[in-house]
Amino acid sequence: MNSRERVLKLFAGEEVDRPPCFSGMGNVTTEGLKSLNQKFAATHLDAKMMAAAAASTYKLFGFECAVAPFDLCIEAEAMGCEINVYAHSEDLLYPTIKKKLIHNEAEMEIQIPSDLTKRGRVPLMAEVIGLIKRDIGKEAAVGSYVLGPFTLAGQVMELNDLLKLSFKKPDKIGKLLDLLSDVIIQVAGEYQKAGVDYITVREMGATSDVLSPRVFKSLILPYLKKIFEKITVPNVLHICGKTNDIVPFMMESGTKAISVDQKNDVAETRKKVGPKTLVFGNYDPYNVLVAGTPDLIRTTIKKCMDDGVSAVWPGCDIWPTVPADNFKAMMDEVRNYRR
Amino acid sequence: MATEEKKKELLEKLRNAVIQYDEDTAKEAANEALSTGMEANDAIFNGLVSGMVEVGRMFEAQEYFVPELLMCADALYAGLDILKPHVKQLDLGVKGSVVIGTVEGDVHDIGKNIVKMMFDVAGFTVYDLGRDVPLDKFVAEQLRTDSDLVCLSAMMTTTMTGMKKVIDDLRTKNPNVKIMIGGAPVSQDVADKYGADGYAKDATNALKDAINMVASLKKMKDEVEAKKAK
Ligand code: B12
Repeated sequence: MNSRERVLKLFAGEEVDRPPCFSGMGNVTTEGLKSLNQKFAATHLDAKMMAAAAASTYKLFGFECAVAPFDLCIEAEAMGCEINVYAHSEDLLYPTIKKKLIHNEAEMEIQIPSDLTKRGRVPLMAEVIGLIKRDIGKEAAVGSYVLGPFTLAGQVMELNDLLKLSFKKPDKIGKLLDLLSDVIIQVAGEYQKAGVDYITVREMGATSDVLSPRVFKSLILPYLKKIFEKITVPNVLHICGKTNDIVPFMMESGTKAISVDQKNDVAETRKKVGPKTLVFGNYDPYNVLVAGTPDLIRTTIKKCMDDGVSAVWPGCDIWPTVPADNFKAMMDEVRNYRR
Repeated sequence: MATEEKKKELLEKLRNAVIQYDEDTAKEAANEALSTGMEANDAIFNGLVSGMVEVGRMFEAQEYFVPELLMCADALYAGLDILKPHVKQLDLGVKGSVVIGTVEGDVHDIGKNIVKMMFDVAGFTVYDLGRDVPLDKFVAEQLRTDSDLVCLSAMMTTTMTGMKKVIDDLRTKNPNVKIMIGGAPVSQDVADKYGADGYAKDATNALKDAINMVASLKKMKDEVEAKKAK
C-alpha cells in the first residue's frame, strides 16, 4: 500500500495497515527549500517553485502528502485584497493581507468578481496542483486548503469589526459569510478540477480561544454545511484550540474528517464521536516537532495514536525549521506503531 | 454633592454598563455622575474599571470570548470619553506613555489589542502602531514621542526574533526606555535572552508590570533631577 492509497482508503472508510502520517495544511520545510536551493519568499508566486517545495517533504522524509499553497491569502487576494509576500526578506515570513477590502460597516456590500477564478493566484494554484500530480501524484496524496468563511471574513475586513458585528448585527455578518462561502466553493472547485485528492477547510479564526461555541453554531455552522455540500473530493474541517465543545457541530457540518490541535484532548474527542468518525491530529507542530527532541516526538506521536487519531496530523502548519532527525523520528514512530 | 446612596447606585450602573457592553448606558451614567458632582476619578476607577476587571475574570473563565471583550471595551471607552476631560489629576501613582504594536511579518493582533486596552483604561497615553509594523518604526516612534515604555507583541516563532532587533536598536539609541514583550511563543526565558525588561503572559499582568516599570523609571529620573538641582 503506498501513501496515496493509504490516505484515500482511510477517507473511503476502508481498512488501512496503519494510520497515515500526513497533513492538510502547510508542511514545507527549510530542509526541503535548501535541497532545492529556493528561498521561501520566492515560492509563493512561482508555480514550479511552489510545486517543488510542496513535494519536497514527501521526497525527503516520506511524509505522505504534498500540500500547497503555504499562506492564507489566496481567496482574499482573488476578491481584491492586496497582499505582501515580503519579497525582500531572507526570513521565513508568511504572506499577509496588506490592504483589506472592507474598512468599515458601511462597506460591507461587496460582490464576487465575475472572473473570480481567473484572478490573483487561483490559476497559479491550479497549475501547481497539476505539477505536483505529475511529479508524485501516483505515490503521495495531493492536498490543498481553503479558508472557512469566518476566517476569510477576517482576512477581507477588520477583525475587530467582524467580531463585534457578529454579536451586534449577526444578519449582516451572515450575509457576508454566505457570499464568502460561494467564493470558497468556487476556489475549491478549481482545485478539484486540477485534480486534488482532498481539501481541508481551515476555520482557524473561529477557534474557541476567540469565539464562543454558541456563536459558532448559530452563525458559522450553516455556511460550513453549505460548503461541505459542494466539495466532492474527500475533505477535512480544521479548527484550532480546545475544540471538544464544538466537536458535535464540526461533525454536523458534513465534513468527512475533523482535525483538532494539541490544545484539544483528543482521547476525549474519540469518546465523543465513537470509533468510526475520522479524527486527525494532534501534535504541536512547533513546540514538539521543531523544538522537541526525537524522544519527545516519539512519545507524543505514540500518544496521539494511543488516544485514537485516525491519522497522525499536525495541529496547524508544520513550522518549516524542523530538524531532519525530528521529522525522521516522527515517521519511524508511525511506521513501527502496533495498536 | 451626591448622597452616598446615589453614588453607589451610579457606580453600579457604570460597572454594569461595561459588563453588559451597553455603550448608551455607559454614556448616560457617566453624564449623571458628572451632573451629581461625583469625582471623575471615582467614576472611572470604581465604576468603569471595576466593571472591566470583572470582564477580565469572565474572559479567563471562558464565560466571555473576544467579541464580548471588545464590546465591553467600547462601552468603557464611551464612558471614559465623557469623564476624562473632568479628571483633575490622573492620580494612578504614575502617568505613563507607551508605544505598542505587533512586529513585522505578523498580523496576529487580537492579543495586542487586549493589552492596549488595559493601558488605555489605566490612563496611559498609548501610541498604537497596529500590526505587521516595520521594525525601525518602533524606534522612530519611541524617539518621536519620548514614551516611557515600548511593548512588542509577536505570535510566531519567526517574527519573535524581530523583537531582538528592535530591543538592540532601542538600547543603543535610548538606554532609558523600558521594553516589554509578549505573545504566545514568548516566555520569561525569551525575554531574558533578548534583553527585554519585562514579559507578561496576559494583559492584566502586563499592566501591573508596566506600572512598576514606569514608576521605577520616574523615580530614577527624579533622582537625576534632584542631583542636578543640588
Ligand atoms: C486567530 C489566529 C490567526 C488569525 C489572526 C487574526 C488576527 N488579526 O489576529 C489568522 C487566521 C489571520 C492567522 C494567520 C496565520 N497564523 Co495564526 N493563529 C491564530 C490563533 C488560532 C489564535 C491567536 C489569538 O488571537 N489568540 C487569542 C489572544 C487573546 O491570545 P494571545 O494572542 O496569546 O494574547 C494574549 C497574551 O499572549 C498576551 N500578549 C499578547 N501580546 C502581548 C504583548 C505584550 C507586550 C505583553 C506583555 C503580553 C502580550 O496578552 C494577550 C491577552 O491575554 C493561534 C493559535 C493560538 N491558540 O494561539 C494561531 C497561530 C498564532 N497562528 C499560526 C500560524 C502558523 C499562522 C500563519 C503563518 C498560517 C499561514 N500558513 O499563513 C498565518 C500568519 C500570517 C502572518 N504572517 O501573520 C501559528 C504560529 C506558529 C508558531 N509557533 O510560530 C499559531 C500558534 C497556530 C499553531 N498552533 O501553530 N492566525
